[in-house]
Amino acid sequence: METPLTSIENRVEILKKCSFLSGLDASVLNDLASRAETLRVGTGETIVTRGEVGSKMYFIVSGDVRVHDGEVTWATMQSGEVFGEMAVLDSEVRSASVTAESDSLFLSIERDVFYQALANDPGAFKAVLRSVLEREREIVNEIKTRSTKLLAFEKEMEIGRRIQADFLPKKIPVVENWEIAAWFEAAREVAGDFYDVFKLQTNPHLAIVIGDVCDKGVGAALFMTLFRSLIRATSLYGCMDSVVDSSAPEGEAGITGQVLLNSLYTTNRYIATTHAGSSMFASVFFGLLDPESGVLSYVNAGHEAPMIFRKGGEVELLDITGGVVGLFPAANYSVETVKLNPGDLIFSYTDGVNEAKNPDGEQFTEDRILQMAMPKDNNTETFLKIMLEAVLEFRGEAVQSDDITMLALKYLQTDPAA
Amino acid sequence: MTTFNIMVGEAQGSVPVTILRVEGDIDASTHKTLQDKAAEVIEAGAKNILIDLGGVGYMGSAGFRAIHAMANMLSDDDSGGLSKSSHLKLLNPTEAVNRVIKTLGFDVYLDIFQDRNEAINSF
Repeated sequence: METPLTSIENRVEILKKCSFLSGLDASVLNDLASRAETLRVGTGETIVTRGEVGSKMYFIVSGDVRVHDGEVTWATMQSGEVFGEMAVLDSEVRSASVTAESDSLFLSIERDVFYQALANDPGAFKAVLRSVLEREREIVNEIKTRSTKLLAFEKEMEIGRRIQADFLPKKIPVVENWEIAAWFEAAREVAGDFYDVFKLQTNPHLAIVIGDVCDKGVGAALFMTLFRSLIRATSLYGCMDSVVDSSAPEGEAGITGQVLLNSLYTTNRYIATTHAGSSMFASVFFGLLDPESGVLSYVNAGHEAPMIFRKGGEVELLDITGGVVGLFPAANYSVETVKLNPGDLIFSYTDGVNEAKNPDGEQFTEDRILQMAMPKDNNTETFLKIMLEAVLEFRGEAVQSDDITMLALKYLQTDPAA
Repeated sequence: MTTFNIMVGEAQGSVPVTILRVEGDIDASTHKTLQDKAAEVIEAGAKNILIDLGGVGYMGSAGFRAIHAMANMLSDDDSGGLSKSSHLKLLNPTEAVNRVIKTLGFDVYLDIFQDRNEAINSF
C-alpha cells in the first residue's frame, strides 16, 4: 500500500504541521524527517504507557489516539498532532498513556536524534523553546479559567449544602420521658441520607423517619429533599385523594396506620410515576410513636432493620414490611407495631454504618453494630458517639464512601428505683 | 479490576425470551454496560428478558436502578407499571444478591426463579 511517507518532503510536511516544530529551519526539518522512523499500530494498541520512561515523541500521520489515565480520557488527537514530546524534552516518565482509537500511522523521533538535529542550528533551540513556552502559556490560561469555574462551582455546592441542611430537622422535639439523639455526616458536600423527627398535628404521636436515597452527590440530594418533604407533608397535612383503603388496621393502630400508609403510598406513587425515568429510590423506615404508651407503629420500606435494645438485654430487629419507595407505583406496604417499655432503646441507621469499609475492604456489618452497642448505661447521645467512634476506628485510613446517619430514642425510666 | 461480561442467549417458551447472563459485579461502574446491552437487544426486537444473575457476586443500588430502567423499557401497559413486570424476570441470584433483593423488596416487583426452564416458560 502506498504510504504518504515515501519522500522526505512528505515527512517534512507532517512534522511542520506540529506547532512544536513549525519554527524550525528547513535544513533541521529535513534532517529530522530523514531520521524519523515510521510506526504502524492497530486499534486498541497502547503506544505510550503512563509512568514508564520514554525517549520518543510521536507525530500522528493518520488515525486517531486517546490520551488517558486508565479509564479517564484526557484528550483525543488526530493527524497533525504530536504526543510524547514532554518526556523527550525533560527525560521524565510519561505523564499519560496513549492508545490508538483506530489503525494509525506515526512518525517517531528519538531524543538523541532530536537534540543532535537541534545542535546543528542555534536558532532551532529558540524556536522550540518559544513553542514550548507558548503551550505553557495556553495551559496556564486554561488552568486559570478552570480554577475560576471551580471556585464558582464550589460556591454553588456550599449553597446547596446549606440549603440541604435546612431539610433536616433544626431542632429535635422535646418529648417527656423520651431522650432522642441524631447524627448525620455526609460523605460529600451534599447527601442522599435524611432523617426527621416531628410531632403530628392531630394526635400526640411522634413521627420518626430515617431514609437513604440511592446513589450519591447532587442527584441523590435533590431526591432527598423530595422524599423528605413528601413524607413530612403527607403525614402532617394528609392528602386530598387518599390512596389508602381497607388495608389499614382497625382501631387506634388504624389511625397511625392510615397516616403511615397514606404518606408512603402517596410518596411512592408520586415519585414512581412523576420521576419514573430517573429510576431513583429510597429505603425508608417510618415510625409513629405514642410517647405515652410506648407503642410504635411502623413501616420499614426496604431499609436496614432498626434495632430495639430491651432493658433486659434482648435485641429485636424491625425487619422490612415493604419494598423501597419510588420505583414501582403498585408497591405495597404493611404496618407493624411494637411496644417499647421504659429502659428500652431503639436505634436506626443508614448503610454508611453497617457498610463502612476498612482499608482491606471489609464491611463493619450489622453484627459489629450489635457487638458495639452499649444501650444499657448510656444516654442516646453517648450511645451514638460510641457507635460512631467504633465505625471511625474500624474505617481507619479508608475514605468515607457513604453518608452516615443514626437516630436513637430511649424510653426513660421515671422511677429511679426501677 | 474485576471483569464484567454479558452473554446474550435466546430461548423459546410460550414466547421468545432473550437471556442476559451477567458475569461480574453490577455496580456504579458496570451498570451502564448492562443497561446499554438491554437497550440494544430491545432495539433489535426483544420483548421479554430474563437476567441470569448466577455469576453476579455483588449488586449495588446502581444495579437495581438499571434493572428498574430495563423494566420500564420493556413495559407495554398503560397502568404505569402498577403490576409486576411481565417482561423482565430474574434468574438464579447468588445468596449475597438475593439478600439485597429481599432487603430492598425487589422480589415484590419482579419474579425471581431458580429454575431456568420454569423461568423461560413463565413469560
